[in-house]
Amino acid sequence: MTTGNTIELDVRGAKCPMPIVKAKKALDALAPGDTLRVVATDKGSVLDFQGWAKTNKAAELVKQETASEGGTEVYVHYLTKKA
Amino acid sequence: MMLRQDQTEITPLELYRLLDEGRTPFVLLDVRNDDEFAAWQVEGRHAPAATVHVPYFDFIEDEDAAVAHLEAYRELPIVVLCAKGGSSDYVAGLLRDRGFQAVNLEAGMIAWGDLLIAHDVATGSPLIVKQLQRVGKGCLAYLIADGGKAIVVDPHRHVEPYLALAEQLGVTITHVFDTHLHADHISGGRLLADRTGATYLIEAHDAEGAKFEFQAVRPGETLTLGATEIKLMPLYTPGHTPGSASMLIDERFLVSGDTLFVASIGRPDLGGKMDEWGRMLFHTLRGQVAQLPDDVLILPAHYAGVDEVRPDGLVAGTLGELRQTNEALKLETEEDFIRFLEQNQSEAPAVYQEIRKVNLAWLAVDEVRATEMDLGKNQCAASQAKAQHA
Repeated sequence: MTTGNTIELDVRGAKCPMPIVKAKKALDALAPGDTLRVVATDKGSVLDFQGWAKTNKAAELVKQETASEGGTEVYVHYLTKKA
Repeated sequence: MMLRQDQTEITPLELYRLLDEGRTPFVLLDVRNDDEFAAWQVEGRHAPAATVHVPYFDFIEDEDAAVAHLEAYRELPIVVLCAKGGSSDYVAGLLRDRGFQAVNLEAGMIAWGDLLIAHDVATGSPLIVKQLQRVGKGCLAYLIADGGKAIVVDPHRHVEPYLALAEQLGVTITHVFDTHLHADHISGGRLLADRTGATYLIEAHDAEGAKFEFQAVRPGETLTLGATEIKLMPLYTPGHTPGSASMLIDERFLVSGDTLFVASIGRPDLGGKMDEWGRMLFHTLRGQVAQLPDDVLILPAHYAGVDEVRPDGLVAGTLGELRQTNEALKLETEEDFIRFLEQNQSEAPAVYQEIRKVNLAWLAVDEVRATEMDLGKNQCAASQAKAQHA
């Protein structure tokens, strides 16, 4: 899906709107083809990243997954910077 | 209720008053995502001058384009809301920077869903009856008092307002009564009974297997509060729940639970046997309820929309009025009744099975999960879609 680098953004503990504010800023610094892996603990981020993806001109939401970290659910969003 | 020029936050109570009075024109800007906006919105007796939905991430992605949706309302104050109050605070600040008068709804829809407004039904000569409206969810609780004693009916999860009201009235809560096993919200019944040492009452079928102490409501039982006699009436309305009970107070007020609402009836389809259970509900309405006189005031556990609120603010109607206006009560035959239920059937509420488990103490959930489960509007009426206002 991508040939670029994957850069991690940790927004654990951040409440909305911060996960998207920070992801937007982080994407600005990436090169086309790079992927931003956003790790959030806010459940609301799942639908919000999907909603943001509809208007996001700079990146594509390529994958979302849920994982458990020592009993805490984390929501991981993968955004690939467009050319 | 007016909005001050320098105001940056608005409480749920202040927003309720703005909508209830309808005197201050303002714009409601909802910045939640599409799903959240579609599922549950702020409603009041009067509509705002405009309701605008622009998700907060649109402001982050392209601020100019998002703000353009509001240019037409530059002269009006804007109340911004989201799920928890964080994103709406961000958007309100950004709008103020651009010269708008914008205020943030404190703690968002979570706080809106907890707002409780007390209305008088009877004001103490000597009987006191208060209706407590949880306006965001459309849930109703009651406090009935006489002779210094009170019974609280269908209290919600956060019990402090009931304790405060009892203290303010100088009465002791001796009984807590859940009309049925709730499926739309987490009951505060057990907690309130624990906090006050009151007896917790519930109909036996509904509390089957419950992991807590309760006193089962049985046919023909009465309770006495001061000079007031309260008749407990088990009403078998399976499907919403296996059993439920109503209270006839002083032969004047029927606290009807989810059996009978002002504009509808309780949905009997949540057990997957709508035909069988619908017929039983028909017989309950045609039997016990039909025998009550026209002047009994029906005090339900829910309402679906502002059209069920009377000019005096109460969600209530006399049985005589309901017999004229409530479609479900006008149906003469079992077949018409079942057809009515089928035509009005709506999707089952999302987490109702889990909420029932919490209310039976089969499942313990933390505060975060409890808040999440308790969000949104009740979907307890058989004809909700019809009764609800957009």
